Amino acid sequence: MTLSPTKSTFGSGQRFFSVHEWIALAVVLASFVIPFATTNPQILSLTNQILIAGTAALSVYIMLRMDLMSFAVPTFMALGGYTTALLGLRLGVTDAIVLGIASFVVPALVAIPLGALILRLKGVYFVLVTFVLTEILQLLLFELGPLTGGANGLVGMPAVTFFGIELSDLSQVLLTTCGLAFVGVLTTAVFTRRFRYEFAAIEKNDVLAESLGLACWRYKAVGFAIAAGVSGLAGFALVNMLLTAHPSSFSSFSSVNYITYTVVGGKGSILGSLLGAGLLVTASDFFALRGELSPGLFGILIIVVTLVAPDGLIGLVSRIVRKVFSTVIRHRRPVQQEACT
Amino acid sequence: MDGIITAGLIGVSLGAQYALLALGFTLIFGILGVVNFAHGGFYVLGGYLTYYFSASLGLPYALALLLAVLGSGLLGYLLETLILERVIKDSQSTLMVTLGFYLIMTTAFVVTFGPEAPQFPFPVTGVWRHGGVYFPYANLIVLMVSLLAIVFVYWLVYRTNVGRSLRAMSEERQVASALGMRTKTLFPFAFALATGLAGLTGGLVTPILSLTPHIGDPVLATSFLIVILGGLGSVTGATVAAFIVGMVEAYSAVYLGGSKGALALFLLVLVVLVVKPSGLMGKEARKA
Amino acid sequence: MLLRKAFAVLMMSTCLAGAADACELKIGVPGPLSGPATQWGLALRGAVEFVAAEAMQQQLIKENGQACKITVIPFDSKYSAEGAAAAVNSFAADGIKVVIGPVGSPEVTGTKPLAMRNHMIVMLNSFAKDSIGPQWPNVFHIGPGPSGWASPIIQVAKEMYKFDTALIVAPNDQGGTDIASVNAQAFAANGVKVTQEYFQRGTTNFAPIIARIMNAAPGAVDLASTPGGDAGIIVKQLRQAGFTGPILRLGGAGYPEIKRVAGGDEVLKDFVWYEPIYMTDQLQAVDAQYEKLMGGQRPENADFFRWLFASRMVMKAIANAGTLTDADKIAAELRKLPVSDPDGGEGHWIGKKFFGINQELSFPFAIGRVQNGKLLPLLRHDAVSEN
Repeated sequence: MTLSPTKSTFGSGQRFFSVHEWIALAVVLASFVIPFATTNPQILSLTNQILIAGTAALSVYIMLRMDLMSFAVPTFMALGGYTTALLGLRLGVTDAIVLGIASFVVPALVAIPLGALILRLKGVYFVLVTFVLTEILQLLLFELGPLTGGANGLVGMPAVTFFGIELSDLSQVLLTTCGLAFVGVLTTAVFTRRFRYEFAAIEKNDVLAESLGLACWRYKAVGFAIAAGVSGLAGFALVNMLLTAHPSSFSSFSSVNYITYTVVGGKGSILGSLLGAGLLVTASDFFALRGELSPGLFGILIIVVTLVAPDGLIGLVSRIVRKVFSTVIRHRRPVQQEACT
Repeated sequence: MDGIITAGLIGVSLGAQYALLALGFTLIFGILGVVNFAHGGFYVLGGYLTYYFSASLGLPYALALLLAVLGSGLLGYLLETLILERVIKDSQSTLMVTLGFYLIMTTAFVVTFGPEAPQFPFPVTGVWRHGGVYFPYANLIVLMVSLLAIVFVYWLVYRTNVGRSLRAMSEERQVASALGMRTKTLFPFAFALATGLAGLTGGLVTPILSLTPHIGDPVLATSFLIVILGGLGSVTGATVAAFIVGMVEAYSAVYLGGSKGALALFLLVLVVLVVKPSGLMGKEARKA
Repeated sequence: MLLRKAFAVLMMSTCLAGAADACELKIGVPGPLSGPATQWGLALRGAVEFVAAEAMQQQLIKENGQACKITVIPFDSKYSAEGAAAAVNSFAADGIKVVIGPVGSPEVTGTKPLAMRNHMIVMLNSFAKDSIGPQWPNVFHIGPGPSGWASPIIQVAKEMYKFDTALIVAPNDQGGTDIASVNAQAFAANGVKVTQEYFQRGTTNFAPIIARIMNAAPGAVDLASTPGGDAGIIVKQLRQAGFTGPILRLGGAGYPEIKRVAGGDEVLKDFVWYEPIYMTDQLQAVDAQYEKLMGGQRPENADFFRWLFASRMVMKAIANAGTLTDADKIAAELRKLPVSDPDGGEGHWIGKKFFGINQELSFPFAIGRVQNGKLLPLLRHDAVSEN
């Protein structure tokens, strides 16, 4: 049913990055052009939202490599976002690189002890516990008012700078997001490809993998920390876009969105999260013009895609591409085609 | 002293309400392996159907409630056979389908009944008082219905052939089908039973509290909490956990306040899971 | 399939927009059209659509002597900062310069900076403490929050029922805390000792909170901005628990819903609330006008009327400014307009004291009272003035 991460769909199993990783990196690199190519605020804002959603969804993708479905994405996004907001407000830190590193490292560090506690849980228990984490986060943000600004959140951060250049208008904010998304995709790609065999073993059967000498907990802990860090990058980008770190940006039900992006896009490939975010964020903005019908239309879309494309949109696309390819190849070279699939 | 007793009674009422909610949720998970994101939606559906039959059509409340249970069950049956059955083997797809269905349901409630709460009073309004201690009769009715439902589910799952088949199928669907069990009829039946229970809870509880299209969200969150604490798929676990959550919520909210009380509850669940990763009475985890 | 269809519709709508005649006023309306705050968004949208239809009928907005078409573009901002930011950006892409809405504090947080950046004029509502301010010169407020009316209502309540302690119960988010803290100041200013009690948004059964309130034994309870449905349960459960003091509702409109959920005026027993408008026969007549023009019932939420008055003011300002797109000019005209409405009566510009900018509409409002289970006629209160 699912696309195995060890075998690339297009057949470059031996190389470090498969075609999917290259395309994902290329897409995010290409998005750097948008801030220079247009001043249309809707396109800028939509790209911004998609990249943030896609980056956040990547952490769902990473966790699914270990067969763990995580609802904790908003928790770590909030950690990343609030960290950068506090650095800007309290210490006057504005450098994009420093803030970016902080937004990755802080959630990752928090994830390590947390992971030690909850990574023993499997399947649905893990799902539900990560859901509880998002609820705890909301209450902590409220109760820790002096630090987090409580229900009102934090506002008034200084604009982010890159080598001393202020990045404050809409297209510059998008540039920051592009940079963070690129780091997120690159980290995810390197990490999931570097450990693809270990993850495949954990995903299939972690008890067996453990008994064959694979220290599963170590990979899981690192995976959880990396996923948290990638979420943190998305949180930074979100706070930077909205010019505010507000508890309502990290609500527990928003976690469902990130999971939806990844599953609808296709959980077997890094491209799935990006494609899912692209499609669903666009659809959601479009449906928002339909007023109170919007959640219903969104619901119909999710069901239809799930039924039509059980491997996600990427699964559907690769199936079509493969079909086209194999016909082309068969026409040209009738014999050699199964070697790489 | 009165305060402690009152908080205890509140805990019992909350527990009864939560037990009813969690029963259906844990059944669907235990038998079908589906985390039903539309569970809260069926709770709201039960509320609106009861409201429609009793307030708009003028039927007696008890009959309206019965029709609402059947209606919620029927919709659950259709959802399972027509949509869910196609993706039943992939737990992430079932999650997506139930989530999408929940969004559609909520939208339908807003469009049909409007966003505001209608006038929908419970037929029994009296309160029993003794000194500073009080207990609304309505809560007593919820408690009794809840106990009856628990007994009924037990009887069905552990004492009937249908129940034995269901339990067998929950272990291994293919083997059970090979042995001649009709998964094609029994799975939708189980789903209908669970959504019917959610509808029953909604029809019973929303007139005591309130009925608006979006009350399904917290219902889902509460069901989550109880079912994790009790151990997924365990009827006993869910029942026990429901009353524990009710009690903890009551005492912590009374003595710590609404916000800190909720925090205490969540932390408790977290601690229990860290100590006992499969919940209080859970079996081994299924794939999510 | 659905997607392709959606895409086709999208393409078509952009084509149509391009082909429309030269004179068109577009008004962006961001507001919650999904989720628990839906009713507030629907009240807003209904009012703006009605005012647009009315203005078209009267040919109020003209360019070169030709009457303009007025299009209302609602956008579901989902009661969140992101939703509102997406809405404003979408409006900006559409060349929209006039925004009426949003309604919630998080939405307002997401709206203001982007609206400023895109040179829009905004007429918004929320009980946030920084809804408007000198740093957002083109942002206006449809009416005062509790800073304007909490004190007069407390005085009326204190005259009817003697109490010197009160407890404010509200949800633990910005919509709750911002209003509860302002109410607390108003109680203190009127010599009432006050405590605040926050519950988690999403609580369905308030029995434990009620027990806590009973332990504190306050003289009066204020529901502040607790959503109508929740407020109804709190009242019902307070009365079940044997609370006999008066209950205040120093928050948004919601009496009809609270009454329905609680189980009638007998349960409310002693209840005093802020009613955004003083209902007159003239205002009642708006219902019929709405039905005639829009072919349906007006949204039930009483904030409909505040949006009605505010939208009419904006519409007048646009007509006077003689421009559909210059936000600065429209804002300047709006500031010059006397606060008045053919149906709502006369009022004042206020806001300098609380927000530091005089851009808040203040219309007459009313105080609702239920005494001993009987509904009393509304008490009319003149528009709050700062002079």
